[in-house]
Amino acid sequence: MLNCIDNSGAAIVECALVVGRKRHASIGKPKPASIAIVLPSFRDRIVAIVQKQRGASDAGMGSASAANKVQRPDGSVVKFDDNACVLISKAGDPIGTRVNGVVGAELRRKKWSKILSMAPAHA
Amino acid sequence: MMLQPVRRPLGPLKSLLRRNRQAQQFMARTMATETTPTASEMAASSSIPPPPISTLAAKKPSKFHVIPSKTPGKPIRTAFAVYAPPPSARAAHPDALISYHAQQIRRLDRTGTRTALFSKKNPDAAKPGDVLQVTTNRGEPFAGVCLSIKRAGVDTAILLRNHLTKVGVEMWYKIYSPNVLGIEIIWRRPKRARRARLYFMRKPRHDMGNVEHLVAAWRRSRNVFSSNKGRGTQGKGGKGSKGSK
Repeated sequence: MLNCIDNSGAAIVECALVVGRKRHASIGKPKPASIAIVLPSFRDRIVAIVQKQRGASDAGMGSASAANKVQRPDGSVVKFDDNACVLISKAGDPIGTRVNGVVGAELRRKKWSKILSMAPAHA
Repeated sequence: MMLQPVRRPLGPLKSLLRRNRQAQQFMARTMATETTPTASEMAASSSIPPPPISTLAAKKPSKFHVIPSKTPGKPIRTAFAVYAPPPSARAAHPDALISYHAQQIRRLDRTGTRTALFSKKNPDAAKPGDVLQVTTNRGEPFAGVCLSIKRAGVDTAILLRNHLTKVGVEMWYKIYSPNVLGIEIIWRRPKRARRARLYFMRKPRHDMGNVEHLVAAWRRSRNVFSSNKGRGTQGKGGKGSKGSK
Protein backbone atom coordinates (compact mmCIF):
# COMPACT_ATOMS: atom_id res chain seq x y z
CA MET A 1 0.00 0.00 0.00
CA LEU A 2 1.45 3.34 -1.02
CA ASN A 3 0.35 6.91 -0.58
CA CYS A 4 -0.57 8.59 -3.81
CA ILE A 5 0.94 12.06 -3.89
CA ASP A 6 -0.56 13.46 -7.08
CA ASN A 7 -3.95 15.08 -7.69
CA SER A 8 -5.33 12.23 -9.76
CA GLY A 9 -7.79 11.55 -6.95
CA ALA A 10 -6.35 8.38 -5.52
CA ALA A 11 -5.20 8.48 -1.90
CA ILE A 12 -3.83 5.03 -1.25
CA VAL A 13 -2.66 2.69 -3.98
CA GLU A 14 -2.00 -1.00 -3.80
CA CYS A 15 0.87 -2.39 -5.78
CA ALA A 16 -0.16 -5.32 -7.91
CA LEU A 17 3.12 -6.23 -9.55
CA VAL A 18 6.62 -4.90 -10.01
CA VAL A 19 7.33 -4.77 -13.72
CA GLY A 20 10.24 -6.81 -14.95
CA ARG A 21 11.64 -7.55 -11.55
CA LYS A 22 11.01 -10.26 -9.03
CA ARG A 23 12.27 -8.15 -6.17
CA HIS A 24 11.03 -5.10 -4.35
CA ALA A 25 10.52 -1.84 -6.23
CA SER A 26 12.44 1.32 -5.51
CA ILE A 27 12.35 4.94 -6.55
CA GLY A 28 11.44 5.39 -10.18
CA LYS A 29 10.18 1.86 -10.74
CA PRO A 30 6.88 1.60 -12.63
CA LYS A 31 4.39 -1.03 -11.61
CA PRO A 32 0.73 -1.76 -12.37
CA ALA A 33 -1.49 -0.62 -9.58
CA SER A 34 -5.01 -0.90 -8.34
CA ILE A 35 -6.55 1.98 -6.50
CA ALA A 36 -7.77 1.04 -3.07
CA ILE A 37 -9.00 4.23 -1.47
CA VAL A 38 -10.15 7.25 -3.38
CA LEU A 39 -11.01 10.72 -2.30
CA PRO A 40 -14.80 11.18 -2.34
CA SER A 41 -14.77 14.25 -4.53
CA PHE A 42 -12.83 12.46 -7.23
CA ARG A 43 -14.75 9.25 -7.17
CA ASP A 44 -16.14 9.47 -10.66
CA ARG A 45 -12.81 10.08 -12.20
CA ILE A 46 -11.15 7.31 -10.26
CA VAL A 47 -13.74 4.80 -11.28
CA ALA A 48 -12.91 5.59 -14.84
CA ILE A 49 -9.23 4.93 -14.24
CA VAL A 50 -9.92 1.72 -12.42
CA GLN A 51 -12.09 0.51 -15.26
CA LYS A 52 -9.37 1.36 -17.68
CA GLN A 53 -6.92 -0.54 -15.60
CA ARG A 54 -9.04 -3.58 -15.36
CA GLY A 55 -9.81 -3.55 -19.01
CA ALA A 56 -6.46 -2.98 -20.66
CA SER A 57 -4.01 -2.54 -17.77
CA ASP A 58 -3.61 0.95 -19.02
CA ALA A 59 -2.55 2.73 -15.89
CA GLY A 60 0.47 2.15 -13.77
CA MET A 61 2.31 4.03 -11.12
CA GLY A 62 5.81 5.27 -10.66
CA SER A 63 7.19 5.00 -7.19
CA ALA A 64 8.18 8.49 -6.15
CA SER A 65 9.72 7.96 -2.75
CA ALA A 66 10.82 4.90 -0.85
CA ALA A 67 10.97 4.16 2.84
CA ASN A 68 13.82 1.79 2.17
CA LYS A 69 17.27 3.31 2.01
CA VAL A 70 18.53 4.14 -1.46
CA GLN A 71 22.22 4.66 -1.96
CA ARG A 72 23.42 7.08 -4.58
CA PRO A 73 26.56 6.85 -6.67
CA ASP A 74 28.27 9.57 -4.64
CA GLY A 75 27.87 7.62 -1.40
CA SER A 76 25.01 9.61 0.05
CA VAL A 77 21.92 7.71 1.11
CA VAL A 78 18.33 8.89 1.09
CA LYS A 79 15.47 7.44 3.09
CA PHE A 80 11.88 8.62 3.31
CA ASP A 81 9.42 7.91 6.05
CA ASP A 82 6.78 6.56 3.68
CA ASN A 83 6.28 4.90 0.33
CA ALA A 84 4.52 7.07 -2.20
CA CYS A 85 3.63 6.88 -5.83
CA VAL A 86 2.38 8.89 -8.77
CA LEU A 87 -0.14 7.40 -11.19
CA ILE A 88 1.03 7.24 -14.78
CA SER A 89 -0.63 6.09 -17.94
CA LYS A 90 0.72 3.32 -20.06
CA ALA A 91 2.50 5.85 -22.22
CA GLY A 92 4.42 7.04 -19.16
CA ASP A 93 2.71 10.40 -18.74
CA PRO A 94 1.48 11.31 -15.26
CA ILE A 95 -2.31 11.17 -14.89
CA GLY A 96 -2.45 13.94 -12.30
CA THR A 97 -1.36 17.45 -13.03
CA ARG A 98 0.28 18.23 -9.69
CA VAL A 99 2.51 16.36 -7.30
CA ASN A 100 2.08 17.29 -3.65
CA GLY A 101 4.91 15.50 -1.96
CA VAL A 102 8.65 15.17 -1.90
CA VAL A 103 10.10 12.77 -4.47
CA GLY A 104 13.48 11.18 -4.81
CA ALA A 105 16.08 12.72 -7.09
CA GLU A 106 16.62 9.25 -8.57
CA LEU A 107 13.69 10.03 -10.88
CA ARG A 108 16.01 12.17 -12.97
CA ARG A 109 18.46 9.35 -13.47
CA LYS A 110 15.60 7.04 -14.39
CA LYS A 111 14.15 9.44 -16.96
CA TRP A 112 11.09 10.55 -15.02
CA SER A 113 11.93 14.23 -15.28
CA LYS A 114 8.29 15.12 -15.89
CA ILE A 115 7.29 13.90 -12.44
CA LEU A 116 10.37 15.52 -10.93
CA SER A 117 9.53 18.90 -12.43
CA MET A 118 5.99 18.68 -11.05
CA ALA A 119 7.17 17.92 -7.53
CA PRO A 120 7.50 20.75 -5.00
CA ALA A 121 10.65 19.30 -3.47
CA HIS A 122 13.07 16.53 -4.16
CA ALA A 123 15.67 14.99 -1.96
CA MET B 1 100.62 41.00 0.68
CA MET B 2 101.69 44.52 1.31
CA LEU B 3 98.49 45.97 -0.04
CA GLN B 4 96.27 43.97 2.26
CA PRO B 5 96.53 46.22 5.34
CA VAL B 6 95.85 49.22 3.13
CA ARG B 7 92.61 47.74 1.83
CA ARG B 8 91.44 46.51 5.23
CA PRO B 9 92.74 48.90 7.82
CA LEU B 10 90.93 47.10 10.66
CA GLY B 11 92.11 43.63 9.51
CA PRO B 12 94.93 43.23 12.02
CA LEU B 13 92.79 44.63 14.81
CA LYS B 14 90.03 42.13 13.98
CA SER B 15 92.45 39.21 13.98
CA LEU B 16 93.85 40.45 17.27
CA LEU B 17 90.39 40.57 18.81
CA ARG B 18 89.56 37.12 17.47
CA ARG B 19 92.71 35.69 18.92
CA ASN B 20 91.98 37.30 22.26
CA ARG B 21 88.42 35.89 22.26
CA GLN B 22 89.60 32.40 21.41
CA ALA B 23 92.24 32.55 24.13
CA GLN B 24 89.57 33.51 26.64
CA GLN B 25 87.39 30.59 25.53
CA PHE B 26 90.35 28.25 25.82
CA MET B 27 91.08 29.53 29.34
CA ALA B 28 87.49 29.03 30.36
CA ARG B 29 87.51 25.52 28.99
CA THR B 30 90.68 24.56 30.79
CA MET B 31 89.32 25.96 34.01
CA ALA B 32 86.12 23.95 33.61
CA THR B 33 88.01 20.77 32.96
CA GLU B 34 90.25 21.38 35.89
CA THR B 35 87.39 21.30 38.37
CA THR B 36 87.03 18.09 40.28
CA PRO B 37 83.89 16.16 39.43
CA THR B 38 81.05 16.63 41.91
CA ALA B 39 79.27 13.82 43.68
CA SER B 40 76.31 13.96 41.31
CA GLU B 41 78.58 13.82 38.30
CA MET B 42 80.28 10.79 39.77
CA ALA B 43 76.92 9.13 40.33
CA ALA B 44 75.82 9.95 36.81
CA SER B 45 78.96 8.51 35.29
CA SER B 46 78.59 5.35 37.30
CA SER B 47 74.90 5.00 36.42
CA ILE B 48 75.64 5.02 32.70
CA PRO B 49 75.44 1.39 31.72
CA PRO B 50 78.41 -0.15 30.04
CA PRO B 51 78.08 -0.67 26.31
CA PRO B 52 75.76 -3.62 25.84
CA ILE B 53 77.55 -6.84 25.17
CA SER B 54 74.59 -7.98 23.14
CA THR B 55 75.52 -5.56 20.37
CA LEU B 56 78.91 -7.18 20.16
CA ALA B 57 77.45 -10.66 20.53
CA ALA B 58 74.52 -9.95 18.17
CA LYS B 59 76.19 -11.99 15.50
CA LYS B 60 76.01 -15.00 17.77
CA PRO B 61 72.69 -16.60 16.99
CA SER B 62 71.72 -17.85 20.39
CA LYS B 63 72.24 -18.26 24.02
CA PHE B 64 71.63 -21.49 25.76
CA HIS B 65 68.74 -22.36 27.97
CA VAL B 66 69.72 -22.86 31.60
CA ILE B 67 68.05 -24.84 34.35
CA PRO B 68 68.40 -23.66 37.94
CA SER B 69 70.42 -26.26 39.80
CA LYS B 70 70.62 -27.07 43.51
CA THR B 71 73.89 -25.21 43.95
CA PRO B 72 73.04 -21.51 43.67
CA GLY B 73 75.02 -19.53 41.15
CA LYS B 74 75.83 -22.60 39.09
CA PRO B 75 72.89 -23.25 36.80
CA ILE B 76 72.92 -26.20 34.49
CA ARG B 77 73.50 -25.22 30.90
CA THR B 78 71.48 -27.25 28.41
CA ALA B 79 72.11 -27.80 24.75
CA PHE B 80 68.91 -26.04 23.75
CA ALA B 81 69.62 -22.82 21.95
CA VAL B 82 67.36 -19.86 22.63
CA TYR B 83 67.11 -17.49 19.71
CA ALA B 84 66.15 -13.86 19.95
CA PRO B 85 62.71 -13.15 18.49
CA PRO B 86 62.75 -11.79 14.95
CA PRO B 87 62.11 -8.05 14.57
CA SER B 88 58.41 -7.22 14.73
CA ALA B 89 56.91 -6.66 11.30
CA ARG B 90 54.03 -4.76 12.91
CA ALA B 91 56.39 -2.22 14.42
CA ALA B 92 58.30 -1.85 11.16
CA HIS B 93 55.15 -1.54 9.01
CA PRO B 94 52.19 0.20 10.68
CA ASP B 95 48.62 -0.70 9.74
CA ALA B 96 48.20 -0.04 6.04
CA LEU B 97 44.49 0.79 6.30
CA ILE B 98 45.01 3.47 8.95
CA SER B 99 47.73 5.17 6.95
CA TYR B 100 45.60 4.89 3.81
CA HIS B 101 42.65 6.56 5.54
CA ALA B 102 44.92 9.31 6.84
CA GLN B 103 46.33 9.87 3.39
CA GLN B 104 42.88 10.02 1.80
CA ILE B 105 41.68 12.49 4.43
CA ARG B 106 44.73 14.64 3.80
CA ARG B 107 43.95 14.56 0.10
CA LEU B 108 40.22 15.35 0.44
CA ASP B 109 40.40 17.80 3.35
CA ARG B 110 43.52 19.86 2.79
CA THR B 111 42.71 22.60 5.30
CA GLY B 112 41.54 20.16 7.96
CA THR B 113 38.34 22.13 8.66
CA ARG B 114 36.05 19.21 7.95
CA THR B 115 38.02 16.99 10.31
CA ALA B 116 37.93 19.69 12.98
CA LEU B 117 34.18 20.18 12.53
CA PHE B 118 33.51 16.60 13.58
CA SER B 119 36.53 15.97 15.78
CA LYS B 120 35.81 14.66 19.25
CA LYS B 121 38.64 16.82 20.59
CA ASN B 122 37.13 20.05 19.29
CA PRO B 123 34.74 21.50 21.89
CA ASP B 124 33.04 23.54 19.14
CA ALA B 125 32.50 20.51 16.91
CA ALA B 126 29.13 19.57 15.48
CA LYS B 127 27.42 17.02 17.67
CA PRO B 128 24.34 14.83 17.31
CA GLY B 129 21.27 16.95 17.93
CA ASP B 130 22.65 20.00 16.17
CA VAL B 131 20.97 21.20 13.01
CA LEU B 132 23.39 21.09 10.10
CA GLN B 133 23.14 22.21 6.52
CA VAL B 134 25.00 20.36 3.79
CA THR B 135 25.60 22.16 0.51
CA THR B 136 26.27 19.83 -2.38
CA ASN B 137 27.41 20.67 -5.85
CA ARG B 138 23.94 19.96 -7.24
CA GLY B 139 20.50 20.77 -5.98
CA GLU B 140 19.42 22.75 -2.99
CA PRO B 141 21.30 22.50 0.29
CA PHE B 142 19.83 19.96 2.66
CA ALA B 143 19.35 21.02 6.27
CA GLY B 144 18.36 18.69 9.04
CA VAL B 145 18.96 17.63 12.57
CA CYS B 146 22.02 15.42 12.91
CA LEU B 147 20.91 12.04 14.25
CA SER B 148 24.27 10.33 14.23
CA ILE B 149 27.87 10.66 13.12
CA LYS B 150 29.41 7.51 11.75
CA ARG B 151 33.13 7.81 12.38
CA ALA B 152 34.94 5.58 9.93
CA GLY B 153 38.08 7.31 8.73
CA VAL B 154 37.59 8.76 5.28
CA ASP B 155 34.09 7.23 5.13
CA THR B 156 32.93 9.36 8.05
CA ALA B 157 29.31 10.27 7.42
CA ILE B 158 26.49 12.23 9.06
CA LEU B 159 22.80 11.38 9.12
CA LEU B 160 20.49 14.38 8.77
CA ARG B 161 16.75 14.29 9.23
CA ASN B 162 14.23 16.86 8.11
CA HIS B 163 10.62 17.06 7.03
CA LEU B 164 9.95 18.05 3.44
CA THR B 165 6.27 18.52 2.55
CA LYS B 166 5.38 16.82 5.83
CA VAL B 167 7.26 13.67 4.94
CA GLY B 168 10.28 12.70 6.98
CA VAL B 169 13.44 12.56 4.87
CA GLU B 170 16.79 11.28 6.07
CA MET B 171 20.04 11.74 4.24
CA TRP B 172 23.46 10.29 4.86
CA TYR B 173 26.30 12.47 3.67
CA LYS B 174 29.96 11.58 3.53
CA ILE B 175 31.71 14.54 5.10
CA TYR B 176 34.87 14.14 2.99
CA SER B 177 32.97 13.73 -0.27
CA PRO B 178 34.14 16.11 -2.99
CA ASN B 179 30.47 16.64 -3.85
CA VAL B 180 29.87 18.17 -0.42
CA LEU B 181 30.87 21.80 -0.79
CA GLY B 182 30.13 22.94 2.74
CA ILE B 183 28.70 21.87 6.06
CA GLU B 184 27.34 24.58 8.31
CA ILE B 185 26.01 24.50 11.83
CA ILE B 186 22.58 26.11 11.71
CA TRP B 187 21.51 25.62 15.29
CA ARG B 188 23.15 24.12 18.33
CA ARG B 189 21.25 21.91 20.70
CA PRO B 190 21.08 23.84 23.99
CA LYS B 191 21.95 20.80 26.06
CA ARG B 192 24.32 18.09 24.96
CA ALA B 193 22.48 14.99 23.79
CA ARG B 194 23.09 12.10 26.15
CA ARG B 195 23.11 9.60 23.32
CA ALA B 196 25.42 9.31 20.35
CA ARG B 197 22.64 8.11 18.03
CA LEU B 198 19.38 10.00 18.32
CA TYR B 199 17.22 7.50 16.48
CA PHE B 200 14.43 8.16 18.97
CA MET B 201 13.92 11.43 17.14
CA ARG B 202 12.17 9.47 14.40
CA LYS B 203 9.28 8.90 16.75
CA PRO B 204 6.52 11.49 16.42
CA ARG B 205 6.84 12.40 20.09
CA HIS B 206 10.48 13.47 19.73
CA ASP B 207 10.53 14.48 16.08
CA MET B 208 11.76 18.03 15.46
CA GLY B 209 9.72 18.31 12.29
CA ASN B 210 10.75 20.81 9.70
CA VAL B 211 13.84 22.85 10.55
CA GLU B 212 13.09 25.55 7.98
CA HIS B 213 12.42 28.17 10.68
CA LEU B 214 15.86 27.52 12.18
CA VAL B 215 17.48 27.81 8.78
CA ALA B 216 15.63 31.08 8.15
CA ALA B 217 16.73 32.46 11.52
CA TRP B 218 20.29 31.45 10.82
CA ARG B 219 20.20 33.10 7.42
CA ARG B 220 18.79 36.28 8.95
CA SER B 221 21.52 36.33 11.59
CA ARG B 222 24.10 35.88 8.88
CA ASN B 223 22.65 38.77 6.92
CA VAL B 224 22.76 41.03 9.99
CA PHE B 225 26.33 40.00 10.59
CA SER B 226 27.37 40.77 7.04
CA SER B 227 25.59 44.14 6.98
CA ASN B 228 27.24 45.14 10.28
CA LYS B 229 30.55 44.19 8.83
CA GLY B 230 29.80 46.30 5.80
CA ARG B 231 29.07 49.33 7.98
CA GLY B 232 32.31 48.81 9.85
CA THR B 233 30.76 48.15 13.28
CA GLN B 234 31.86 45.29 15.46
CA GLY B 235 29.58 42.33 14.76
CA LYS B 236 28.93 39.70 17.35
CA GLY B 237 29.88 36.17 16.34
CA GLY B 238 26.60 34.39 15.85
CA LYS B 239 25.86 30.77 16.40
CA GLY B 240 26.20 30.06 12.75
CA SER B 241 29.56 31.77 12.40
CA LYS B 242 31.34 28.52 13.18
CA GLY B 243 30.44 27.08 9.80
CA SER B 244 33.00 25.33 7.69
CA LYS B 245 33.51 25.77 4.03
